[in-house]
Amino acid sequence: MKMTPAFVIVGALLVFWASAFIIVGIPSLTMKETPSEIWRPFTPLEARGHRLYVENGCSYCHSQFIRVIDWGIGAERIAKAGDYVGIEPAILGSERTGPDLSQEGGEHSDDWNRAHFLNPRNTTPISLMPAWDFLSDGEIEALMAYVQGLGGKAADLRVKRQRDWKRQAVAAYAAGVDANIEWLHGQVPEVWRRMPNPYPATEAALQRGKRIYQQLCINCHSPIGDGNGPAQPHLNPPPLNFTILRRHLVENRYIGGIFYYQIMNGITGTAMPYFKKHLESEKIWDLANYLAVSFVGYTDANTDPRGIDASYESGWVNRYQPPALAPGR
Amino acid sequence: MINMIRKPQSASLAFMVAGAVWFVVGAVYGMFSAIHLVAPEFLPHVAPLVFGRERPVHVNTMLYGFVGTMLTGIGLHYVPALLKTRLWSEPLGWVTFLFWNLTVLSGPLGFAFGFTQGREYNEYVWLADVSLVIAVLCMIVNVTLTIMNRREPQLYVSIWYFVATFLWTACNYPLGNVMWHPATGAMPGLIDSIFLWFWGHNLPGLLITPLATGAAYYVIPRVAKTPLNSHTLSLLGFWLLIALYSHIGGHHVLQSPIPSWLKTISVVDSISMVLPVSIVVINLWLTARFVGGRVWSDPSARLVMAGVIWYIVTCIQGPLQSLPFLQRVTHFNNWTVGHAHIAMLGFGGYIALGAMWHTLPLVSGRPVYSQRLINLQFGLLTFGLTGFFIVLTMAGLVQGAAWYNGETVLRVLPQLIPFMVMRAALGVFILTASIIGLFNVYMTLRGAREQETLRHLEEAT
Repeated sequence: MKMTPAFVIVGALLVFWASAFIIVGIPSLTMKETPSEIWRPFTPLEARGHRLYVENGCSYCHSQFIRVIDWGIGAERIAKAGDYVGIEPAILGSERTGPDLSQEGGEHSDDWNRAHFLNPRNTTPISLMPAWDFLSDGEIEALMAYVQGLGGKAADLRVKRQRDWKRQAVAAYAAGVDANIEWLHGQVPEVWRRMPNPYPATEAALQRGKRIYQQLCINCHSPIGDGNGPAQPHLNPPPLNFTILRRHLVENRYIGGIFYYQIMNGITGTAMPYFKKHLESEKIWDLANYLAVSFVGYTDANTDPRGIDASYESGWVNRYQPPALAPGR
Repeated sequence: MINMIRKPQSASLAFMVAGAVWFVVGAVYGMFSAIHLVAPEFLPHVAPLVFGRERPVHVNTMLYGFVGTMLTGIGLHYVPALLKTRLWSEPLGWVTFLFWNLTVLSGPLGFAFGFTQGREYNEYVWLADVSLVIAVLCMIVNVTLTIMNRREPQLYVSIWYFVATFLWTACNYPLGNVMWHPATGAMPGLIDSIFLWFWGHNLPGLLITPLATGAAYYVIPRVAKTPLNSHTLSLLGFWLLIALYSHIGGHHVLQSPIPSWLKTISVVDSISMVLPVSIVVINLWLTARFVGGRVWSDPSARLVMAGVIWYIVTCIQGPLQSLPFLQRVTHFNNWTVGHAHIAMLGFGGYIALGAMWHTLPLVSGRPVYSQRLINLQFGLLTFGLTGFFIVLTMAGLVQGAAWYNGETVLRVLPQLIPFMVMRAALGVFILTASIIGLFNVYMTLRGAREQETLRHLEEAT
């Protein structure tokens, strides 16, 4: 084959366009834009937030499609073509240094999002995300609106739930320290409230709990558990001061089940996220023991009711005494 | 000034020097990005240096600025040289240089302040897109007319690749960048990801690959002092590249809800890419057969040959990771980042640097300042990049396996720390290599040296 100039130029272009027609032309002619059941258009503020998301390169760390094999945040809904109708550009992303955001709307409260944008370490101590505190307040609000809209109608449902519960949580906090804790305990199902921590609070377990506390909890609840971490000024209601729980043990005995339940499910409406996708059972119980021992000075670990010890357990005996009740209680 | 832009080969030299400068700029931004993945609070509150803004500067400056620019400069030398003529118009070459580099410059200047279209590898804003297309069109005119004025009847394979690169880019770039939507540079909806990854993969495949292949086809036979092994293999490599490469962008969104037939095509053609790649590599290796020592002991040809080795590594890994089964673990994580680095720095960058060191004396009329510095650059790059590849691949497997087994993205972050620390440390080697390269270019070209050489010559006579 003799490669003459005409042959090279015309041939290269012909093969290119034939090839391009298959891969770009046919999809352009055949792919239809049909909204999915959760799709809705952006509000003007969300559209502005979307521009900021694109212009600031958020997509280099956050993907926006859930795959059939995914387990993590948002994995309840696999992405559909109709989720992206009209979005220009709908950047699917190529990297997950941070979590997928396609279903992020309503995952967290507005307060959490604001504190997180100002400095992600506020809410997530191990985050690698840059702080966006150099953006104007208006820009942060637009970004928050966009993020809270991710997931369309499904997100709207979650955001509404966040805001409904926030009203109740704020009212409970305003009612006073003790009333607030009674309200919080009241949201935990009855069977969990009288459940002692089934994991022994051994030295090793407390160390494990401490590590998790430092990775996930410390910047809201603070190193001494009083709820005055760096995120506190941004959050309403503020993070819980664990030390107060000392006078709110259920029947002056139980706290493990309440800790477990609140860590597992979070307190929707407040900035307290759920951790049940991040932590499996033992880690939550270890963390609960760490909170109880470090900040309440007492743990109900391994107390009755209890069953047969698990085979690895070495007969750890709980020597913590419930606090003496203050006069009048 | 007028004399400078009329001087034969001056545009070629300008492109090569600019490439060496952009390499340093891109490496500096890469270094910042790497540090931020270890210490996100490094240089806080500096808006232009947040990860989301500095990463596209790094990527685009390396792709278009370093590898693309340097390889173009090399082509501007070998095209006239192989055709036994001069470039049709040296000033038009400079116009190309101006518009091309304006586009590259819009990266550090624009992205830092949020002027970006945000689509990976398609980030340049519309005006910069226009500037790049003007550069490409000027180049097509210049090269085509150079071919018309040739005094060598045969077109060597490097010429095919060089001409075709710019023909393809003139079609590819506006299409993938959706230039008919100036505001966003995107199509609405899911189909945008097909346009995006059309150019996203054609950028390495139909801009960098043909330029680098052309340069390797130029340097290896020259250093080996043997004719090219096979014309037939050259033909096969060239036509298979264009027939297959433009189809494979879909493997970047293989797990997304794009049509299944598109996924099938992209996987099948990705696997088929092994063919053109092996053909090119075999052709070059057979050319250097029995004279491997000659090629390997020449510092610039060694860089080119190592680039060819990175090419085959990249293009075995690439097709493999397009397989849906493997992608379950390798997608969305640092595995891909490792792959991108051996493709762009290993394949494109090594060949660009090697061919640049080979071409620089031919263009400037001065020997390279220091062959030992080329060797040092080779050593630093090879240590840095090999380490990068290993570390990022390991990090990617840790991430992918953990996610696949149900860990959340957040919980895996602490596991990445040692890998990210090593990656930043290895980045220092690559940054140093880029600075040494620029120093070597500067020392080769600096004005005083010309007089020194002349003086030596006078003394000798």
